Amino acid sequence: MSAVAAEWRKLLSLPSALVAIGLTLVAMPALGTSTARRLAAQLDAGGDGVLGTVTTLTVGFELVPFAVLGPVVLGVVIIGSEYTRGSKDSGGGRQITTSLTAVPGRGRLLLAKAVVLAGVSAALAVVVIPATIWLAQTALGEHGHTWDALGPRVAGAVVYWMLMPLIALAVTVVTRSGIVPMVFFVVNSSFVSVTHLLTRVTPLAAYLPDMAGTRMFTAQGPVHGGLVMLAWTAGLLAVAALVFTRRDA
Amino acid sequence: MRAAGGDGHPGPVIELNGLTKRHGGKVAVDDVSFTASPGRVTGFLGPNGAGKSSTLRVLLGLDVPDAGTALVGGRPYRKLRNPLRTVGSLLDGGGAHGSRSGRAHLTWLAVSNGIPRSRVEEVLDLVGLADVAGRRVSTYSLGTGRRLGLAAALLGDPEVLVLDEPVNGLDPEGIRWIRRFLRAYAAEGRTVLLSSHLMGETAGTADDLVVIDAGRVVARGTVPEVVGGHASLEDAFFALTEERGR
Repeated sequence: MSAVAAEWRKLLSLPSALVAIGLTLVAMPALGTSTARRLAAQLDAGGDGVLGTVTTLTVGFELVPFAVLGPVVLGVVIIGSEYTRGSKDSGGGRQITTSLTAVPGRGRLLLAKAVVLAGVSAALAVVVIPATIWLAQTALGEHGHTWDALGPRVAGAVVYWMLMPLIALAVTVVTRSGIVPMVFFVVNSSFVSVTHLLTRVTPLAAYLPDMAGTRMFTAQGPVHGGLVMLAWTAGLLAVAALVFTRRDA
Repeated sequence: MRAAGGDGHPGPVIELNGLTKRHGGKVAVDDVSFTASPGRVTGFLGPNGAGKSSTLRVLLGLDVPDAGTALVGGRPYRKLRNPLRTVGSLLDGGGAHGSRSGRAHLTWLAVSNGIPRSRVEEVLDLVGLADVAGRRVSTYSLGTGRRLGLAAALLGDPEVLVLDEPVNGLDPEGIRWIRRFLRAYAAEGRTVLLSSHLMGETAGTADDLVVIDAGRVVARGTVPEVVGGHASLEDAFFALTEERGR
């Protein structure tokens, strides 16, 4: 328990983590609302023809795989910050030596980090995702939907937001630096989705964790997609635990 | 190798036995054995790259040895419950994240080992950091960073102190302060193990010495025993290390 309490403090005293949390809280609801407003105006003016591949049911949800970057950044920095070298002036030490002398059980330390990360991500998700969807659907006005239709998708999106950061944590344990995972996750969620492009090359890419996880909030086999993503998360965490326990600090 | 000194002390608290550690193919620590006893300051002396830090990292459970054991009070470090309350340690480089304040660093450390939060302010005062405790660690000088590391080591009011090059970066006043502090700490019956490459400084602080060179212990005993017939510890040290024909 004390290890979890310490990890909680560590994460919430990192400026980069606070920035990620703050941006997520503000950006996603704001973007969701503005998209929905624009769409509502087009629908009022020109009917269903403006929708294309989007439906009024997915408004707001298209931001879920993008705004998950906030929790993903938390997953990267919760490990990456341990391996950041101090300045040459200060001797170039890394925090991981302090963390492991305080909590020498590798499994215990990693579990504490995963618990804190999942908790913070879940808290962020249950606030931001329903708020965004509510704001977006409200902005759609008469084109909006009821929670009967939206609820399961919201639940799926919350699960997605809990699993993605855990995957980021596991990858960062292996790389021992936040830089490579950070670049990959930022690029993949915002500029060019490598995993999405892969789905055009091979149907197997649909089984990649983020692609499968997306199905939890697009209602295209949410249970199956969720289980695939869960299996990835568990597998990657197991690899991370194995590496972390066997490696010298 | 000279005979072990420090006989007659109760319950050796730090005990290294046949410790060997390889980094890649290179042997960093080669069959190292010694004890550091309570009530005494043990100096762990050797040139840079002799294997001091590698030995201390194994002792603190950070790295796994290829052979041998390192015990604190009869137990490996990794088996200690709330280890900061038994062993305080300071490794080269400080080990605090630059974007947190010194106080925030000590606070999470205290929380991790069930140490009362009031202790954070106590150790900040003790090492003279109270004024800068609210500033980010990345703004600290080398000496201030060492003081923070020392505060972290003292946080759990431990029976054992393991310090790697503690006087690095400290000004003369800080060096004097730490020498007196460690002497007083050992006088309370606690165990102090400090590594250094500074011979004069170590001779003035330590009761017992372990001299390491190229991964092997070349001498151990009380300071007079290790100095032997030489004019100074420095002379003894070079005689011991040059004997090995490096």
